Amino acid sequence: MLNIDGFAYTNRLRQVHPLEKAAFAFITMFLCIGFSLPVFSCIIILLMAYAIIGLARIPMKVYLKLMSLPLSFLSIGVLTIAVSISTHGFGAAQLAGITISGINIGITHSGLHSAAGLFFKSLGAVSCLYFLSLTTPAVEIVDVMRKLKIPALFIELTDLIYRFIFVMLATAEDIYTSQSSRWGYASLKNSMKSLGQLTAALFIKAYHRSQTLFTALSSRGYNGRLNVLAPEYTVSVINIVIIAIVESTLAITAILLEMGKIG
Amino acid sequence: MADYILEAENLSYIYPDGTQALKGLYLRIPRSQKTAVLGSNGAGKSTLFLHFNGILKPKSGTVKFNGNNVSYDRRSLLELRKNVGIVFQDPDSQLFSASVYQEISFGPLNLGLTEKTVRDRVERAMTATGINELKDKPTHMLSYGQKKRVTIADILAMEPQVLICDEPTAWLDPKHAKQTLQLFDKIIQNGTTVVLSTHDVDLAYSWADYVFIMSDGRVIGEGVPDKVFSDDALLRNADLDRPWLVDVHDLLIKKGCIPPKATLPRNKEELFEKILYHGICTGEQ
Repeated sequence: MLNIDGFAYTNRLRQVHPLEKAAFAFITMFLCIGFSLPVFSCIIILLMAYAIIGLARIPMKVYLKLMSLPLSFLSIGVLTIAVSISTHGFGAAQLAGITISGINIGITHSGLHSAAGLFFKSLGAVSCLYFLSLTTPAVEIVDVMRKLKIPALFIELTDLIYRFIFVMLATAEDIYTSQSSRWGYASLKNSMKSLGQLTAALFIKAYHRSQTLFTALSSRGYNGRLNVLAPEYTVSVINIVIIAIVESTLAITAILLEMGKIG
Repeated sequence: MADYILEAENLSYIYPDGTQALKGLYLRIPRSQKTAVLGSNGAGKSTLFLHFNGILKPKSGTVKFNGNNVSYDRRSLLELRKNVGIVFQDPDSQLFSASVYQEISFGPLNLGLTEKTVRDRVERAMTATGINELKDKPTHMLSYGQKKRVTIADILAMEPQVLICDEPTAWLDPKHAKQTLQLFDKIIQNGTTVVLSTHDVDLAYSWADYVFIMSDGRVIGEGVPDKVFSDDALLRNADLDRPWLVDVHDLLIKKGCIPPKATLPRNKEELFEKILYHGICTGEQ
């Protein structure tokens, strides 16, 4: 398993204010979505690769592996855009294609162009999100959400789900170990049976846990809201200035590229 | 008359599945002392604790805090929970946040304190439990012993008058168990009453000022450790062993190695002192 969570707590940018990291990631992502030129998307991919590998010191191998994750479904998605179907041909625009009983299936120049645009745009946006999730622990992302005044219900759910993913994982692992030590996964038949029992046991345990958690919270004066205080982070003026410069440079580059003045 | 902080009178409780966990229990916890509630599994210790905090409402009988009957409206319950804190046995069912700092801030924030006071209390609770260096760690990356200390800090930050710990040393290694007990000794110094449940007779014998023995939903014996742990019939009824110190002490008296009628040693050091300074050694020198 790729330990994104682990890197979030140990990377070089851990001490940077989460709001600064979130601002960097999201402004870049919006620019990436807003402007469609593949060249610009590639600039963003490179920028984020530098931030992730060069600044946060995430191993290159981990970065490449993560970037390859969306490739499979991205290629399928992009393929459907690259390939066009028509009943009356594409004329000169068609680069390649076949005709089956009057229906043209072919690749056009514009189709290919928008497919490439979408491909790089998606990778660019994904790398922005990777930057945030690799450098900022989930807890701090929740702090950012709190600062941005996102509804409490949403924040509390995020917090609880994140916490209990790990409790559930540990429980599942314990059950799995105890099953396999008793030949629970020795044959296909045993495996099917054991997996079913594991799932059922997890549901029951999850329910039981929610009850004991509620008891424990009530005994600390829970009144329907999970009030917590975030640790105090230090704001870095230098970081904010750098982010502002990088983002405005990106925005100007994007506008210039769109106007066709350079590149 | 002695001063009692928590009292249970004729307390009975039946769980929805029909299990009668408490059967007309009487118990009074002395203020500012170290109290241990001993009993085998299923004796009703945890159920009793949940009554002290108002989580469970008795089917019959009353719970008193500071001499006043506990009432079960929202405001009184919050007030009770501010003063009586419970550290649960399984840390994973108490820790709800992935952040240690946020986790500890939850209790004091519910008390309606100012942000600054809460931050002070969180810092103090972390210092007292020795978990300052865990502040930036997520709770799921902590060891069992570390989680346990965070759960104690959770309650300490609320600065309750009574700290109740359900099986605080279960699953802890000897070193961390000892540290936890030393922490309780520290907490008691500022007047906090500490109550813990355990089935470890040696621990209760050495640590507690006052001991209750529970069996099958009732208190079947109570007193200072010397008295309680010399009562063989009582221990047998509760399915408990005698502390090894008491056993060894008895044997040494029987063998004529130390003078009879001596007070019982409370820990290993006291026993050794007796042997070294009051013992009659017939063996080789």
